[in-house]
Amino acid sequence: MASSIISRENRAGWVFVAPALALLGVFMVYPIFWSLWMSFQTGKGMNFKFGGFGNMIRLTKDPVLHHALSNTLIFLVVQVPVMIVLALLFAVALNNPRLRGRSVLRTAIFLPCVTSLVAYSVLFKSMFATDGVVNDTLIMLHIINTPIGWMIEPFWAKVLIILAITWRWTGYNMVFYLAALQNIDPAIYEAARIDGVPAWARFLKITVPMLKPVILFTTVLSTIGTLQLFDEVNTITASAGAGGNPADATLTLSLYIYNLLFKYVPSYGYAATVSWLIVIMVALLSWIQFQFAKER
Amino acid sequence: MNHANKWHRSLLAAAGINMLLATTALATDVTVWCWDPSFNGAAMNEAISRYTASHPDVKITVVDFAKADMEQKLQTQLASGQTEGLPDIVLVEDYGAKKYLLSFPGAFEPLTDKIDYSKFAPYKVELATVEGQTYSLPFDSGVSGLFYRSDLLEQAGYKSADLQDITWDQLIDIGKAVNAKTGKPLLSIDQNDAGPIRIMMQSAGTWYFKDDGTVNVKDNPVFKKALETWVKMLQTKELYKPVSGWGDYTGAFNNGDVAAVFTGVWMTGGIKSNNMSGKWAVAPTPKLDIEGATHYSNLGGSSWYVLASAPGKDAAIDFLKTEWGSDVDFYQKILVGQGAFSSYLPARDGAAYSANDDYFGGQAVWADFSDWQAKIPGVNYGIYTNEADAAVTAQLPGLVGGGSIDDAITAIDAQIEQQMQ
Repeated sequence: MASSIISRENRAGWVFVAPALALLGVFMVYPIFWSLWMSFQTGKGMNFKFGGFGNMIRLTKDPVLHHALSNTLIFLVVQVPVMIVLALLFAVALNNPRLRGRSVLRTAIFLPCVTSLVAYSVLFKSMFATDGVVNDTLIMLHIINTPIGWMIEPFWAKVLIILAITWRWTGYNMVFYLAALQNIDPAIYEAARIDGVPAWARFLKITVPMLKPVILFTTVLSTIGTLQLFDEVNTITASAGAGGNPADATLTLSLYIYNLLFKYVPSYGYAATVSWLIVIMVALLSWIQFQFAKER
Repeated sequence: MNHANKWHRSLLAAAGINMLLATTALATDVTVWCWDPSFNGAAMNEAISRYTASHPDVKITVVDFAKADMEQKLQTQLASGQTEGLPDIVLVEDYGAKKYLLSFPGAFEPLTDKIDYSKFAPYKVELATVEGQTYSLPFDSGVSGLFYRSDLLEQAGYKSADLQDITWDQLIDIGKAVNAKTGKPLLSIDQNDAGPIRIMMQSAGTWYFKDDGTVNVKDNPVFKKALETWVKMLQTKELYKPVSGWGDYTGAFNNGDVAAVFTGVWMTGGIKSNNMSGKWAVAPTPKLDIEGATHYSNLGGSSWYVLASAPGKDAAIDFLKTEWGSDVDFYQKILVGQGAFSSYLPARDGAAYSANDDYFGGQAVWADFSDWQAKIPGVNYGIYTNEADAAVTAQLPGLVGGGSIDDAITAIDAQIEQQMQ
């Protein structure tokens, strides 16, 4: 009797989740497997055929892919730590109840991440033009003499992209830290203060370790976000009909996939292979970060 | 019984609605995609107003995009296999024509039996022919020239005669003098645009690819010379204003920040939309300092294609055939207005093609362009021009910084080979 109720409830449960499962299957699981299958196809346009490991071999020999990969890793290694540290410092500063106007500041720092990616990219493009507001201001303040070629020099183009995504995402990460900071018992800080622990040590020895799970979470999210970087490099550093300029200095893996599909003679199979490369990198980097967090 | 009646009634109602839809659908809708409201968009609108005057039942709408956006949107849609949302007529640049035709077989409607192709420039017909079927209504040619501000060059001491038979090296010297005298650079250059390399290559009868489609970069003296010349120009900082993107590039000469631009004849529409009548002139494209080089080249140029899936296909074909395939008068209008230099041969006998143009100081620019166009060396564009452009521009910063030309050529060759897999 009891078992029949359980089995009936089980059945009802499956019926309830069935629509969601079906949608998930059609729009998520099926495309994932299809893209895996595609990554073994070679050929141009709609004329493809099974190519075995041809695309994997092509990955190892493709100079553009290697360039895109190194650009993406540079963005990752430079931008993610800078942004995480900045967000942490902002969060701690804005958590101080003695700071005046902190709700205004919080909003101001969080505001960038409610703007659309393309909208802010267009704005950055015009602000950082060779004769744009930023160069004019820097010249006026006598910080530089000649305008910086933000979108013309490969080095400055990378700096510009890092500036842009840092501006866009720092506030987003800060909010996680602010929330987590509310959960740290003030008594701990009070005890530390009574024991004469200086502020920097309180930050490093109490705040950071207590926030470790959140820092891990934001680092993993930011890593994934940077590996998928597309909108900014396809808008801010776009010229002559292509993103990732100048001279591919800001070409990312995602943008390269896009070019392979929609700009060049389309190579659907190879593009799927590159997208699986991103999947593997995300999995690997997340795993490393989890291991790193576990050990300490 | 009652039930059956209800069914019957609703069926009738549905039929009635269907009939209503059918009558409204009699007015055929045709959508056109193109990319330049002051050039091909304007020419298309002119054609539409002429056609719809005699065909009020056809409604043709032009949708303007940025060129790269339009190309990528088209490619995305063709790849999806979803035909809803595609236009009836689309403008395709000549460099990309074969790419679409070969990558998406069946997507475009062959017009071989519908258009008299003997009346169009043969190279344009050839560009749109795959396995004996021709798919395009050939539109403009991109015969190149050096547009310059005659007032500014005169200040620097140059007359029209001084620009007739010059090399790129001489152009660099002229640029230096113009900058010294007027304080304005001669050109605006977007280093990410490989257009100048393409102009130089074709002017000497070569391309990234050989006729059989194989890469023609290594051991190609013309390509090497073109690359060297372009790098030298980029290294001469006083020659140009560095820009990023099309808006900056055209803005520079439209605002009078720079004194010249070498490009395709289709830029005429943009140049003429400024209020600088009498201050512009056109000279032949400068020449590469190498054997076989000429003053005649091409940049861009495009044609109209009909989508095979288009609901308004028949109306679209009739429209193209009537206006673009036989209206000589129409071609005179868009030549003078937009600089649309057609590949429809009978149009060349029209009055506009020999007229003087006051915007260009009374110069007979169209006769000049006609003359140059006839002498452009023919090349095979292949299907990988985008890939080759990217390979070239990727090497430019290193070369401008003093890198080895031969190493760069090896890298460019390797990258193109790789992308063709």
